[in-house]
Amino acid sequence: MKEVLRIEGLSAGYGPLRVLHDLDLVIHPGERIGIVGLNGHGKTTLFYAIAGLTGWQRGSILLNGQQIGRSRSQGAGRYTHKIVRQGLAIMPQGDEIFNGLTVEEHLDSGAFTPEAWRTRKERKEHVLELFDPLRKLMKTPVGRLSGGERRMVSIGRGLMTDAKLYLCDEPSLGLAPKIGLAVLEALMAIDLKESAMFIAEQNVALLEGRVDRIIGMHAGKLKGEASSGVQLGSGG
Amino acid sequence: MDLTFVVTNAIIVACIYGLIAVAVSITWSSLGLINLAYGFIFTFAGYGAWMVAEYLTENPFLVAASGIVAGALGGVIVCLTVFIPLHDKPNFTTRGMIATLAISLIGSQAFLIYFGPRPKALPEFFGYWRIEFLGTTLTSDKIGIVFCSILMLLVVVFWMRGSRRGLEIRAMMMNPQAASIVGIGIRSTGIYVMAVTGAMAGLAAILLSQTYYLSPFGGVVPLIKGVSIALLGGLGSVQGAVIAAILLGLVEALTNKFLGGQYVLMTQFLVIIAVLIVRPRGISGLLDKAREQ
Repeated sequence: MKEVLRIEGLSAGYGPLRVLHDLDLVIHPGERIGIVGLNGHGKTTLFYAIAGLTGWQRGSILLNGQQIGRSRSQGAGRYTHKIVRQGLAIMPQGDEIFNGLTVEEHLDSGAFTPEAWRTRKERKEHVLELFDPLRKLMKTPVGRLSGGERRMVSIGRGLMTDAKLYLCDEPSLGLAPKIGLAVLEALMAIDLKESAMFIAEQNVALLEGRVDRIIGMHAGKLKGEASSGVQLGSGG
Repeated sequence: MDLTFVVTNAIIVACIYGLIAVAVSITWSSLGLINLAYGFIFTFAGYGAWMVAEYLTENPFLVAASGIVAGALGGVIVCLTVFIPLHDKPNFTTRGMIATLAISLIGSQAFLIYFGPRPKALPEFFGYWRIEFLGTTLTSDKIGIVFCSILMLLVVVFWMRGSRRGLEIRAMMMNPQAASIVGIGIRSTGIYVMAVTGAMAGLAAILLSQTYYLSPFGGVVPLIKGVSIALLGGLGSVQGAVIAAILLGLVEALTNKFLGGQYVLMTQFLVIIAVLIVRPRGISGLLDKAREQ
């Protein structure tokens, strides 16, 4: 079977700082993978490297068989929109939201491929089924929403196109435990079909039993891997 | 006379310079570029329309349309020569400002060499009729200027609200990094922004040519006024720019009436400085609905 993502020898960082050290990683279709690790150990940088948003990077990244991991030394984000168009959905940490746009406009802005734009009504309906609280808020500017609602908007925006790979950076960050759990449950309810989902999280207990594999990250390297059936103990 | 005369003059000035101010504002907030090349685009559009009128047709609609198209073309030229090569380089804001200023200066000199210093006149677009309104005589060109610029502004605002490109531009105005995350290309959107704002400057040039002659350096004053109105409105806000345009138009008309035309720039900049001391982010800070980050 064709891999969704194959990373070989990826290093990345910002200026003189090297954050990722020669990572290798393969993700297969239909998989949900959790990546856990402490703050500042490179989870977000790994996601940024896949999206082409780091200061510099080298190594090979194949998304659905296409090379997206150029060696770059400047111009962070220069190719991000093209990588996104090749089938990457990013649900960033801290939401990266457009404060003045309404919830509905947000969801529309996620539908950038011509096909997704034509069918955006059904797609919005689909997102609203997952995140029912957004239904009454469609005309509200996102700057006025609560943290949990914003997270729903930012995840819903990522779901507006058919991506090959969903990158979900700390979906429960800064949310009350109950709401964080609800957001994670919604992520689990998404029908992946041939695509895959990659979730960064600090709370191992939230991922346990829900994802297919959990990978640890420490000091810019991937450490240890467990299929989720294995009990990891209570929390990490 | 008196009050209505002052108000109508204020509105006319506000309309023309407001177009450029809104263009400056949109370019700044979506591309992060303080585009000082609107002086060049303005003159470019004026001479484009003049060449059509001179060599092709005197039809006022076609001449006006060609001015707007030439403005859009000028915007695309600035985008291709400044924005696309420079936008991901360090210190883009300063470099972009200097590069656009250079385009404005080089452009003016080029027009001077090619067309000569003699001012050119465009045909009258709006005929010679006049109506009486509240005791003031409104000539056709005044009504036409107000009508055309409000129409253009409405078209742009509705296009920004309703269309997909408009959504992309507004998204980029609010958060450029998030825009690239949802697949909006900065460079392709930049071309749309510059074409649309260029068309606005083109229309402003056409409308101003009804009052003043075209000259190689004719774009300088509209540029200064447009940029200062955009500053007063709070760079990046369309409503703020419109309100600031009306305010400065009023100041200009009142100064003209009570002090004399030579004091206009002084009183305008005094007002701008006063407002920016009280509200450093300009007028638009009062209008923000959503909380700032």
